[in-house]
Amino acid sequence: MSLKTNVTYYPAMPSAFKDKLLSDDFVITSEISPPKGVDVSSAFEEAGLVGNYVDAFNVTDNQRAVMRMSSLAMGRLLKEQGLDVILQLTCRDRNRLALQSDLLGAYALGMENICIMSGDYPTKGDNPGTKPVYDLDSVQLLGATSRLEGGYDIAGNPLESVPSFTKGAVCNTEPDQPLQLMKLEKKARMGIDFFQTQAVYDIGHFETFMDSISHMEVPVLAGLIPLKSAHMARFMNDKIPGIRVGDELIERMEASTDPAEEGLLICAEQIRELRKVCRGIHLMPIGHYRHITALFEIAGLHEKN
Amino acid sequence: MIISSSKSFEEILENLDNPGKIFVLGCGVCATKLHVGGEPEVEAMCRKLREAGKEVIGGGVAKAACSIKSKESLLENDPAIEKADTIIVMSCGSGLSVVSSLVDVPVHPATNTDSLGGYSEGHVRKDLCAMCGSCIADFFGGVCPTARCPKGLMNGPCGGAMEGKCEVDPDGDCAWELIYLRLKEIGRLDLLERIFEPKEYNG
Repeated sequence: MSLKTNVTYYPAMPSAFKDKLLSDDFVITSEISPPKGVDVSSAFEEAGLVGNYVDAFNVTDNQRAVMRMSSLAMGRLLKEQGLDVILQLTCRDRNRLALQSDLLGAYALGMENICIMSGDYPTKGDNPGTKPVYDLDSVQLLGATSRLEGGYDIAGNPLESVPSFTKGAVCNTEPDQPLQLMKLEKKARMGIDFFQTQAVYDIGHFETFMDSISHMEVPVLAGLIPLKSAHMARFMNDKIPGIRVGDELIERMEASTDPAEEGLLICAEQIRELRKVCRGIHLMPIGHYRHITALFEIAGLHEKN
Repeated sequence: MIISSSKSFEEILENLDNPGKIFVLGCGVCATKLHVGGEPEVEAMCRKLREAGKEVIGGGVAKAACSIKSKESLLENDPAIEKADTIIVMSCGSGLSVVSSLVDVPVHPATNTDSLGGYSEGHVRKDLCAMCGSCIADFFGGVCPTARCPKGLMNGPCGGAMEGKCEVDPDGDCAWELIYLRLKEIGRLDLLERIFEPKEYNG
């Protein structure tokens, strides 16, 4: 048997997603969760439902500290379906060796778009006894990524070949939280191509936030979670940091005979407003994929070529 | 000060497999101050073990379990220790380790060692220091994020804090909120702009 094998190397193409960020088009990303198992068919199905409307899929990394298939594997499989992918990478699960090695691996597998975050603490998830890592924080990981792009690892050792990423990070949209803004500034200083925000419900409030960060000139994708019920809105207000659903929206949800439909209408209205104030949206449908096509159509977002 | 807390008596009993003659050794420093290994606690432990049918041949409190000089000085404390088949130590893990290195019988902990902290204004303060070496607490107003933020974040809070409370313990303050308030108080909010490089763990 010959030891010669056909090695397939997938150097990342110039990022189509980055081109979109730099264009005048309204950018749409959506979240895809890898399965808690080994069968990716339902994730494929969800991605397929909205694939024609979406510029890139954000593949979550053990989100809410719930153990699932790796985002790296899921991302590569979506890529093979012809979809563009943004790989989430949390600081919770890996030390600096693993983070850097996954970044290089992601690039070699054709995934040049990454989105970096601290990650929810393990006690919030389904393996609460996990040893938390947090060897780097999100600012430091962005710095390490820039360093890889400069040809060196975090310890200063030279790389044999060099990646080039499109780098994103997450933020809350609280203009009155000096610490959150300070951290956002630090992320921008480390080199960043886009911010993806926590779910936005109050457009006026979001505009104030956009004004407060306008000096950074970083493209912002506003997070959107369609409401399903008044109960869900109240729950998020109480339990999810950085989310603020106003009384007016909660009253609309309560008064509606079809709250899920009302939630989509509200979301579509928000999308129309957000088109005027930021570069795009990041949709977190949480199990709502079947209705997202309708949402896009109501919001006036049509299938892409 | 090392913050320790008492193990449940049930757990201690479970770990005693044919213990033979037991000696209970407390510690006169942190464990005494925290009421988990002083004289009253050692006496109570001896009584409970006897009530549970165990043979207890003595109990005492070392001046400081973590710095007992030698086997001789351990025996000076109470010669009965030499006759023990099992020693139960009511101190932090370093005290237990020192005792264990000086004797040739099984040594069992009666406490869990939680963190490096303090005791002031009537309150136990856990997790004040992570003992990471090269101290930079001054940049954070004396509130160490490595120790006091569960994620050890050095460049600002995570997105999980709500109204100044921690994502991990909603009853506890977000360490970064404390850092902010303290730096504001001493007029050094400018320190927040500094970007901290990853911590080096090699020395």
